[in-house]
Amino acid sequence: MFELNLNLAQEIDKAQTFDLIIVGGGPAGLTAGLYAARYKLNVLMIEKSFISGGQLTGMETIENYPGFAEPVLGQKLAQDMEEQAKKFGLKTLNAFVDSLDLQKEIKEVTVGDDIYKAKAILITTGTSSGKLGIKHESEFTGRGISYCATCDGPLYPNKKVLVIGGGNTAVKEAIFLAKYAKEVIIIHSGEKLMAAAPALEKLQEETKIKVMLNSSVKEIDFSDMNNKKFKIEDSSNKHTETIEADGMFIFVGTTPNTKLVEGKLELEKGYIKTDCSLQTDIPGVFAAGDVIVKELRQVATAVGDGALVAYKINKYLSKL
Amino acid sequence: MSLLDEKIVSQLKDVFKGLNKEVNLKLFTQEIECNFCKDTHNLIQEVAATSDKIKLEVYEFQRDKEIADQYNITKIPALVVMDEKDRGIRFFGIPSGYEFTSLISAITLVSTGAHQLKQATQDFLNNIKKPVHLQVFVTPTCPYCPPAVIMAHQMAYFSDYITADMVEASEFTPLAVKYNVQGVPRTVVNETEFLEGAAPEEYLIDKIKASL
Repeated sequence: MFELNLNLAQEIDKAQTFDLIIVGGGPAGLTAGLYAARYKLNVLMIEKSFISGGQLTGMETIENYPGFAEPVLGQKLAQDMEEQAKKFGLKTLNAFVDSLDLQKEIKEVTVGDDIYKAKAILITTGTSSGKLGIKHESEFTGRGISYCATCDGPLYPNKKVLVIGGGNTAVKEAIFLAKYAKEVIIIHSGEKLMAAAPALEKLQEETKIKVMLNSSVKEIDFSDMNNKKFKIEDSSNKHTETIEADGMFIFVGTTPNTKLVEGKLELEKGYIKTDCSLQTDIPGVFAAGDVIVKELRQVATAVGDGALVAYKINKYLSKL
Repeated sequence: MSLLDEKIVSQLKDVFKGLNKEVNLKLFTQEIECNFCKDTHNLIQEVAATSDKIKLEVYEFQRDKEIADQYNITKIPALVVMDEKDRGIRFFGIPSGYEFTSLISAITLVSTGAHQLKQATQDFLNNIKKPVHLQVFVTPTCPYCPPAVIMAHQMAYFSDYITADMVEASEFTPLAVKYNVQGVPRTVVNETEFLEGAAPEEYLIDKIKASL
């Protein structure tokens, strides 16, 4: 039996001024949307992907979100969060935001040929998986280099793939890829994997997955697409070896999605700075979730941010 | 057992209330040596049953070769979504998972004519006078794929010179190998240009320009 996912566009009246527009539909945006809708605010959430959920949608399962004794599917959790928020009146639009005008009293969000207006803006654009930073990485993205195991895993049946990274995501995605691939090699620069204990225990049971520690990919040679070569360096002795594999999945670090607000909001190492009300340096412009300066980036913390920021936005709007 | 659960049926009935023109679905299938033909047939049948405005015609790929040729059907399962006129909208492989939304979007598109293309895109498409073939390779588990498919289908709907195929990569392995599909979505434009990812309209337009 196969899954069916239905997510169709809603009609949005562009002439109105919303109380709040949320840019980014991950757990922080969805939670803020739910709370704001329950405060009876007129709220629109704009998500660039075709479905809400942000990074949740690319994860197979979540094991540390409270309330789910069994691992919950990332896409299922995202869908349920959205459905719950919509039930209380959240409106959603799946579209690329081209630019933001945050300075005026009424903020403007440009989407293609349309402009959406709101009294307050919430930025919950989250983070994207980091790049490895090696030569030819962008050139071969989608052509042997991938950042999404659920998307591209089915394209590697009985193939050999490398997984770069040693965190929880890397280990979980390697286990997911082993469903399709005949061999998976995890390449991690550290001396031990950083994944949480449950993922490491599962890894122990996998026979198709090998782990190379203290190792990193230095160069790739895809000149023969049927015979891709990866030069791996062992940092302990600087010894290099060349491995042949069919593809490489990268799960290292994160980059904040702040392109829309660069030069407009105060940033610290790329992340948005907020006060304890999660307001940025511009009144009426708030930010929450993974995209802000914070210590721990998890679904649970994003959800906490989302609830708090909606409360603060409601207070802010009531004083206008 | 039905493939569509009650919740999806009620969502579809709701969406299809907005249908305007009659939609013709032409399904090309065969009973043997086609892994997903039966599931696709059942799925399309159940979708068609949710609205009076949707008419389904089923063809045997080999027996009805003439009709298959007329619609340029080279592989199965294949689905043509059209109104009274062929708009160049095709699905090759089962539109399940996230691609189910692409299917429903295509049905509403041909029935209502409502597309989201930017004005600049429309201006460009109005001036195309040569055939353009878009093949969007997808997997059903890819949440980034439907926007690429929906955009290509909208362009096909808008311009008589454009045809746009959704191609489920894991069902048509030789084709995926031919076009070097190792990540999805990957859009092949006129066999010569390639676009990775769910890119904005402008990127696809640039590739179309380069292919002409």
